[in-house]
Formats: sequence, C-alpha cells, structure tokens
Amino acid sequence: MSVTVRIPTPLRTLTAGEDQVKVSGSNVQAVIDNLEAKHPGIKERLVDDKGIRRFVNVYLGDEDVRFLDGLETQLKDGDELSIVPAIAGG
Amino acid sequence: MLDTPELRLPPPVSAGLPRKRVLLVGLGGLGCPVAWVLAQSSGAELVLLDDDEVDESNLGRQVLFDDGDIGRPKIEAGRERLLALGAERVETIAGRLLPENARELVRSVELVVEGSDNYATKFLAADAAHLESRPIVHGAAVGWRATAWSVSPQGAPCYRCLFEEPPSGPAASCTSRGVMGAVVGFTGALMADLALAVLSERPRHGTLWNIDGKRQTVRPTQLSPNSRCSLCSAEPRIVEILSQHYQPRASAA
Repeated sequence: MSVTVRIPTPLRTLTAGEDQVKVSGSNVQAVIDNLEAKHPGIKERLVDDKGIRRFVNVYLGDEDVRFLDGLETQLKDGDELSIVPAIAGG
Repeated sequence: MLDTPELRLPPPVSAGLPRKRVLLVGLGGLGCPVAWVLAQSSGAELVLLDDDEVDESNLGRQVLFDDGDIGRPKIEAGRERLLALGAERVETIAGRLLPENARELVRSVELVVEGSDNYATKFLAADAAHLESRPIVHGAAVGWRATAWSVSPQGAPCYRCLFEEPPSGPAASCTSRGVMGAVVGFTGALMADLALAVLSERPRHGTLWNIDGKRQTVRPTQLSPNSRCSLCSAEPRIVEILSQHYQPRASAA
C-alpha cells in the first residue's frame, strides 16, 4: 500500500529535490517512519517527542490530521498527505 | 463584445459605503503589491506601518519603489507612489507592530493585512486582530513558496489554529534564503483579492492558499477550527497581549 506525500520546498533538500514521494504505511506515523528510512533527517523536521510539531501541519487530502487521529490516522492506498510548515518571510 | 456585463470593470468595492481603513503591516514584497491594488481599486484609506528603508536589493520585488527611492523610508516612498496611483488617503506610521502598540493600531482600522517578515509579528498581528474583533489577511513567502488566507474577526479558524506558537530556532527569511519576485507579486495580488472580498462584505475566510512558484501550482486547503486553539476556542489562554507570547526577531524582508 502506498500513499503520496507532497514535500514543501524547505524539505526538498532532504528528498533530492522531489516535490512528491511515494511511501508505504498504514497510518501517518508509519509513513513518516518510512519517509525517514528513505530520506534521513526528515522525521525530526516533522515531529518531536510530543507528536507533529506545532508549526507544521500535515493534511490528508483537505483535512488536518490533527483533527482526525493525528499520527494514528489510518491511510488507504492512493491517499495524499501534504506537509504545510509555517513561513516567516514577507 | 465590450458591452458584455462581466467584462465591465466594477466600481471600487467601497463605492457608496463609508470609507474603511486598512492597516498594512510591513511594506515589503507582499505589502507593496497589496497596497498597489488597494490604492487603485478599494477606495480604502491605507495605513502603512514599516520601519525600514528602501534598499537596492528590494527593487526586484517591492513594486512601489524605484532607484530614486534607495535610502528613503519605505512608508514615505510608498505613500507618494500610492497617492500617484489614485489612493484617496494614505497615513504613515514609522515603526513596527509591537506588544505595546498592537491593539491600539488594530482597533483604529476595519481590516488588517499582514505581510510581515517574521513569526513574532505574524503571531502578534493575529492575536491583536482577534482580541479587537478585526478581520485579518495573512501572507507569507520565502524562496519559491508562499501562503495567503483571510481570518474572520471570530477566528475559527485563526492563525493559531494552524500554527500554535512561534517556532523556536532560526527561521528561513527572505534575507537568508531569498524570495522570488514573481511569487510575492502573485501572492500579494491574491492577498489584495482576499482583502477586497472582506471590504465588500463578501469575505472568503478559512481557505489557505498554498503557492508553489517552482511547480507553478496554487492549491487551496480548507482549514478547520482547532477546538483547543489558544486564541479563538471557547476557552482561550491568550486573552491579552503579553510580550512573552512572541519571540521578537530582527530579520528584514
């Protein structure tokens, strides 16, 4: 089973420039772990010991996973996860 | 062909309504195009808040300024240009949005447009707008990426629903990472469109627009209120502006 993860620009240095990556995993936690195995360093940019970092949002389709089951949110084949970090500039 | 009603230019959105005041927090890559559009099409009174001077490196994206403005305060050069473009009235305030002045400044306007260059100001503007029951348009950009969205006076969702607190550690800024002129131009125009929607009392709150200039995509995401939001939930923790809620940073756009 695989889902597509959309990678925002600041994290593309960790994915060799790829803007989307296909990763397997039955829930968000598993996808992040598998993402880390493929692209080391990305996990710590997304989660800390309390869960998804506060200034990062992970969306399953249009839904913030924080309002679903967080890292436990179940995924199905073909789902799309988007990572939206806060941006400081203007 | 030109008689087709939808091709006719509409009158300024505030025609016939009392003139509204709009506070522009930051007159950088985002604030400039927003101000340009509002000057020409909103009929609103613009209040420019910025403490910076025009630098040569700004000219590629900060569309209100040209070579002759280098070294001048942005609010002065910007005011001149906006009046020439047709703005009815432009007020200038030299300074930054700070915990000490935020609520008073926000209270004096009907809409806040925030295109500032650092997290502390973004969170402060969001908090002040909510506490003073004012709508706010947020914009942010760095590198090829940007976001824009508008928030209702009641929030739900608000900036803190999405990004709970300022990130710790250094943030990528337009100074350290650069920013694409076309990305801020596009995003500023989108922010102006969201602002015009608010001014014409047809707001489009709650959709976060994600702009990726490298892939040339604009993706909307419907945001949900955070029931535990520290600012706009039923039991907020932020009920006043305290400087410890923000991490002042000195980065420039």
